Amino acid sequence: MRTFVTKLLRFIVVIIAVTFFSFSLIKLVPGDPVNYIIPFGSGAIKAQLRHDLHLDDPFFVQYWHWLRNFFTGDMGRYYGTSFGGGVSVSNQLWKALPFSLVLIFYAQVLALAIAIPLGVVTAYRAGTKFDGASNAIAFGFLALPSYVLAFFLAIWVAVKWGWLPVSAAGKEISPVTDWQYMILPTISLAAAQVAVYMRLLRSDVVATLREDFITTAQAKGIPNRRILFRHALRPSSLTLLTVAGLNVGALIGGAVVVEVIFELPGMGYALFQAIGAKQYVAMQSYIAVIAIVYVVINFVVDILYSVLDPRIRHARAAA
Amino acid sequence: MPEPLPSPAEELATEEAREGLPVDAGTREIAAVVAVPGVTAARRRKKPFGIGAWFALGWLVFVIGIALLAPILPLKDPINWSDPALKLQGPQWGHLLGLDQGGHDMLSLLVWGARPSLVIGFGSIAIGFVVGGTFGLIAGYFRGFIGELLGGLFDIMLAIPAVILALAIVAATSASVTENTGSHITNVTIALAIVSVPILGRITRASALSWSDREFVLAARAQGASHFRILWREILPNVLPAMFSIAVLGIAVAIVAEGALAILGAGVNAASTPSWGNIIVGGQSSLSDAGYIVIEASIAIFLTVLSLNHLGDALRARFDVQEARI
Amino acid sequence: MWFRRRKRRSLDSADRFPSAPPDAPLLEVDDARTYFETDRGPVRAVDGVTFSLDRGKTLGIVGESGCGKTVLSRSVMGLLPKHNVIRSGSVKFEGQEIGNWGPDQMRPLWGTQMAMVFQDPMTSLNPVMSIGHQITEPLLYHFDIATGYARELAVALLQSVGIPEPERRLKQYPHELSGGMRQRVMIAIAMACGPKLLFADEPTTALDVTVQAQILDLLQTQQRERYMAMALVTHDLGVVAGRTDDIAVMYAGRLVEKAPTKILFSQPRMPYTEALMASIPKLGDAAHTRLATIPGRPPNLLNPPRGCKFSPRCAYVQDKCRVEEPPLRPGADGKHEFACWFPVGTPEGRAAFESNKKAGLAAVDARLSAETAPVEGVS
Repeated sequence: MRTFVTKLLRFIVVIIAVTFFSFSLIKLVPGDPVNYIIPFGSGAIKAQLRHDLHLDDPFFVQYWHWLRNFFTGDMGRYYGTSFGGGVSVSNQLWKALPFSLVLIFYAQVLALAIAIPLGVVTAYRAGTKFDGASNAIAFGFLALPSYVLAFFLAIWVAVKWGWLPVSAAGKEISPVTDWQYMILPTISLAAAQVAVYMRLLRSDVVATLREDFITTAQAKGIPNRRILFRHALRPSSLTLLTVAGLNVGALIGGAVVVEVIFELPGMGYALFQAIGAKQYVAMQSYIAVIAIVYVVINFVVDILYSVLDPRIRHARAAA
Repeated sequence: MPEPLPSPAEELATEEAREGLPVDAGTREIAAVVAVPGVTAARRRKKPFGIGAWFALGWLVFVIGIALLAPILPLKDPINWSDPALKLQGPQWGHLLGLDQGGHDMLSLLVWGARPSLVIGFGSIAIGFVVGGTFGLIAGYFRGFIGELLGGLFDIMLAIPAVILALAIVAATSASVTENTGSHITNVTIALAIVSVPILGRITRASALSWSDREFVLAARAQGASHFRILWREILPNVLPAMFSIAVLGIAVAIVAEGALAILGAGVNAASTPSWGNIIVGGQSSLSDAGYIVIEASIAIFLTVLSLNHLGDALRARFDVQEARI
Repeated sequence: MWFRRRKRRSLDSADRFPSAPPDAPLLEVDDARTYFETDRGPVRAVDGVTFSLDRGKTLGIVGESGCGKTVLSRSVMGLLPKHNVIRSGSVKFEGQEIGNWGPDQMRPLWGTQMAMVFQDPMTSLNPVMSIGHQITEPLLYHFDIATGYARELAVALLQSVGIPEPERRLKQYPHELSGGMRQRVMIAIAMACGPKLLFADEPTTALDVTVQAQILDLLQTQQRERYMAMALVTHDLGVVAGRTDDIAVMYAGRLVEKAPTKILFSQPRMPYTEALMASIPKLGDAAHTRLATIPGRPPNLLNPPRGCKFSPRCAYVQDKCRVEEPPLRPGADGKHEFACWFPVGTPEGRAAFESNKKAGLAAVDARLSAETAPVEGVS
């Protein structure tokens, strides 16, 4: 219980730090940020905006205002001529968030679905040509940035062969029902992860297969396939699951790029558009939300990990 | 990333020594051969710097070489020279790699483009290595409050996904991305350096922690060595080799990140300085008819990353085995 | 391999191999050899072992670390790794030759006909599977029974190995049990499908001394109740004394002495056996008695010495021993087999010992020190 409370405290501290950072970004902008947000506004409008954003107030007062607004749902608005002017950020944000979350979820699931059987089988057949070939291919995919694969898929599958749509620009789609728009982005994201997970699992399973309890299982007459997937996989999967959980951060980064390439209306694409239009207010909110989602996911993974491993659970209970 | 497999015989031998249990030599021999035929055989043969590693090194030398020599190579100026009539035409005589969407020569674009990409890659990791490494060493050696504080700082910095963090920093500091002045190489380098500091710092800290626990450190303290001396003479030389392989792998990541930032609009200014990343961005719109633009730049990045990965793995295999023997 | 459903057998596992002659021993091993291919050449872990085992009898296989006894038991069961292993010789189970059977053929036998209890219960149990699951798994796999019934069987098994509160244990994990209890669970798992042959490979080495006797008693009880044949493999002569019908002493991959237990202990013939017995510290010894050791180290199994493998360390060694390997052959009474040119307790042996003693052989000194008085100056 004590560790849970510690983790919770750390979680809160990190959330505050992250929001602090997102907020301070606007201070990094050289010159007066208002000039970038509404470059064509009149002096009076700019002054009004500066007042609304508390830009002339002391630093922590600004922060306090921003924080209060953020957690009560007011995440600012778009200014100027972009997005029809005055559209609230939270509007866009809540529409965009599901896309990114679903994309990341699909990518993880796809990567694990391919990597787990591959990892186990290559471990079982370690040293054979199959293993060597798989490892070489995995190594190749590790070096392939997800955007390169995305472009490649876009050129061939979408444009040349026309099997799948290239982009979802301008359309109102849902991430779940209109899944054909999600296929190429998911594959681009998942490919590099497959390589990482497969190698990780393989080395863990190879080590586990050398343990004594595998011989015990053999001596019970249990067939190899069952031993592989029921006996060897479970102890070896803990590292994989932790890495998969912690990897979501890398996936968020990759998802941002992939969304931009395929013009998928997720958080990454929204952030990209906000930056392009110099809408720093919107940018602050998007970054804050993305970072908070990441922290929350890591926290959940951490708790899940200690729940799932019976050894840790009992060690905690005993302590 | 997977660990290199320790030789089972070695594993058992150290275990046996630790626990004083008599391990049946039969079992030991079983263990020694129960690992896979290919792997065991390779391990017995002291793994030479394989042919793959030579290719990797060769490519890197080549790329760094042409990047350094770009000003004196007989290439057309990538920015100022262009033949709009020839734009979007593929490889042909006189333009071995074709031309881009503005009629610029692809070959010179790629050669000149290597410079920012490599500078950003090596530069950001170098800074991150020095800064993160120093803080990590301090955190790992001193432990206690300083260690926890620095560790906590690292954790907070790591709480924001790397690409987002870099993007935010670059976007905020390069507010004038569309201006023709300035190339923003520094901004990108510093942003990526900031992103790499906590990652390298955390790894250095863990490594320093484990090395600080060893008895030779205690022995040095007992002889009156100052903290600085211990850090510099005892701990750093042991931490350094493993960190090198991480750094090499990190350079590859930084180069990829440069491309990602370019796609996200926070990269090097394309109008003034080509980089592999913004070549890809430029070629995005002509994907269907002139896909080679994106493909060529992608291949450049891919080969460089592949070579760096290979080298990093080879370095790690060399140094980690030595570590295990202690 | 992928989706072949296993034909489940009925619960009654009393069937035998069709060709089994009714009076034949359960297990017959004839000149079994197991070599491991390594880069430096073949390691002769088991180098020609012959013995047989009947149902209801216990055989003790005794030897130092490195003599190949573990490899022997794994070879007989067929639990060797698939790469770089060379096997020869005959292993007959109920008259059926299984020495050349691969894992696919052996698998129906594992657990149901023959089982093994391993040395270290800590690492031999899957740490992330509950005890109940590990016991019911072979039951559910080999037999056509319902899960609930399998669980009842598991509870009964746990009870029969002396574990208190068996229902509670089903849901527990190995790390929640003590070493002795874990070993009992291992025994329960081995017994689960009612095997006819049990290999106990150093079952007590990893346990506290106080628990060792309990586990050995448990094994004996189980063996008697189930009328099993048991092979008790150990390096500790104390473990096999009084618990086995016959003892086979192994050295460097071969059997060097084989005899009914009482005869072996009363009159060992092989100098190695005698040295082993002498090295056991006895309760009746005075305080600070020097431990009698066997000087030297076990031979290199890659390049074994010519002649008798024990000759470098033997107190009875003569020139003939270094040149010619003594065969394992029965003595006068027919039941006691040994492999020695100058056996203990014979006139030739005594003469050899005396001449070595005069020559000041180190092995003789070590052998004699077991009988000397306490060291001077220490009371």
